[in-house]
Amino acid sequence: MSLQTAEQNLLEESVAEAGEPSAKPVKIGIRNVGKVFQIRGSDRPFTAVQDVSLDVREGEFLTLVGPSGCGKSTLLDLIAGLTSPTSGELLIDGTPIDGPGLDRGIVFQQYALFPWRTALANIEFGLEAKAVPKRERRERARHYLDLVGLDGFEHRYPHELSGGMRQRVAIARSLAFDPDVLLMDEPFAALDAQTRESLQEELLRIWEKTNKTIVFITHGIDEAVYLGQRVAVMTSRPGRIKRVLDIAFDSREGDLRADPRFGEYRHHIWTLLRDEVAAAQEQERTIG
Amino acid sequence: MADETTLTAAREEAGEAKPAAAPSAAPRGDAPTDDDRATNFFKVAGRRRTPVASRLATVVKRSLALVLLAGLWEVLPRVGAVDAVFVPPLSEILVAWYDMLLAGQLPEHFQASLIRSLSGFGLAIVLAIPLGLAIGWYRPVADFLSPVLELFRNTSAVALLPVFILIFGLGETSKIVFVFYACAWPILLNTVSGVKTVEPLLIKSARSMGLGPVRLFQKVILPAAVPTIFTGIRLAGAYSILVLIFAEMVGAKAGLGYLIQDAQFSFRIPDMYAGIITISALGLLFNLLLLSVERRFSTWRTS
Ligand SMILES: Nc1ncnc2c1ncn2[C@@H]1O[C@H](COP(=O)(O)OP(=O)(O)O)[C@@H](O)[C@H]1O
Ligand SMILES: [Mg+2]
Repeated sequence: MSLQTAEQNLLEESVAEAGEPSAKPVKIGIRNVGKVFQIRGSDRPFTAVQDVSLDVREGEFLTLVGPSGCGKSTLLDLIAGLTSPTSGELLIDGTPIDGPGLDRGIVFQQYALFPWRTALANIEFGLEAKAVPKRERRERARHYLDLVGLDGFEHRYPHELSGGMRQRVAIARSLAFDPDVLLMDEPFAALDAQTRESLQEELLRIWEKTNKTIVFITHGIDEAVYLGQRVAVMTSRPGRIKRVLDIAFDSREGDLRADPRFGEYRHHIWTLLRDEVAAAQEQERTIG
Repeated sequence: MADETTLTAAREEAGEAKPAAAPSAAPRGDAPTDDDRATNFFKVAGRRRTPVASRLATVVKRSLALVLLAGLWEVLPRVGAVDAVFVPPLSEILVAWYDMLLAGQLPEHFQASLIRSLSGFGLAIVLAIPLGLAIGWYRPVADFLSPVLELFRNTSAVALLPVFILIFGLGETSKIVFVFYACAWPILLNTVSGVKTVEPLLIKSARSMGLGPVRLFQKVILPAAVPTIFTGIRLAGAYSILVLIFAEMVGAKAGLGYLIQDAQFSFRIPDMYAGIITISALGLLFNLLLLSVERRFSTWRTS
């Protein structure tokens, strides 16, 4: 019963906060976006995401949670411009997204580093695409390697680095070409708990320092609450936005996870997700 | 303060990563992935990390079989366990080899073979790699050429030798074309599969950074395909000598294959064995050379 009231309080708060006029302009606008896949060998279209509307403001850190297979990665691909929506529209700075660009950087769960390039050369990759002169490329790559705490590892190949270090390189690579938006698809999911926590902290530090707009997909509720200023919860497939929660702590000092509000947020999202996860599992059973 | 956390974090991770990274600090060529038995002997001899004693032991163990083989080859004919006429003792063969070397016979045949196999092999590299890249990358090219390729791929090169001789005569051209044909397949097929099996996530990642098709090909597809292409090249290197010897046995007036065949016909048995040993050495040398080039091109390779 007490939980119920806590939830109620949180909800009222988020409504109140969402109602306030926000100073920052909208960076990413997602308007009634749907994505339907044509499955080979089947005439039944496959709806991955449906009628998603969401605004991400400039400099915001938004986390996105949802049951597996609900269309999170699909949504990220759409924002990245790697695929186009079958309905609705996506805007960046008010103009429709038309293909990928260096104004958005992606960090994948599986790092996606080029194995034939050293850490430094990997970070330079996007700068080459941007036609930055060689000397400046080197300098900038070194700078970002330092930023993610990997100075001294510039000449290592990806297979000579641990998982956490690889993801640091991948983050540095995306930061190096200085995109406004960082799209992260479960970037820490493959790491052990300790490495994940230290990378979470660093990501927050980098975000505060660089003012990027970050969309961060995770299936960890803790991670979503810890990192996000807002948490968007998606429904099971076809993915829609079920609820967007504002996360606000009085202070981020100390152990945030021990804060009672942390637990409240966590529980609230867990409740929202529970039914969706059950629905997703049911779906998988009936399809399989 | 923030920087401090970064550094410690990095250090922690570095520490945790070290055991994993340690093997790669050993000379790269030592990666136990190379299935090449022929070259293993040399690689083991060059290993650095193992203690001196165990290294020595390995060298002895590895050369033991060879020494034993040489010893048996020397002794068995001498004691009459095998017919010394058909299998002369090793020392006689080495003497024959040395004599042919001094007489200039061996260098002449060696050169003839080398030029033919290198020409055919080189031609195959120059033509099959671009073709393979085109097939692997452009769907229409693949669709167009697939049926023809499928047909020829299942036609043995050896079966086509008479055709080559018919068209190009008994001279150098038919032999080079023959070697080229045999070498082209492993290179072509490996290049195609190298291009087709590039990790899709890498392509996605590069596309997300705004790379167009040309740059994507140049910066991602090509480097990713290099190891697979090299596997094909190394296979082709072995083929180039293998099939050439066959061609030289069928119809030639020079070359190691001719030398072996001729020596057998005129019953110069030690000369025949000397020719065979030379071919083995050539094959080994070729493979070593290609391996070292390959290593230079793919230092990053893990498995
Ligand atoms: N290119 C595609 N073609 C067909 N179906 C796809 C494609 N990409 C994703 N899907 C399907 O869309 C659904 C959502 O996928 P995804 O966005 O990867 O989910 P999530 O990232 O939330 O786990 C899944 O059922 C997946 O199988
Ligand atoms: Mg996903």
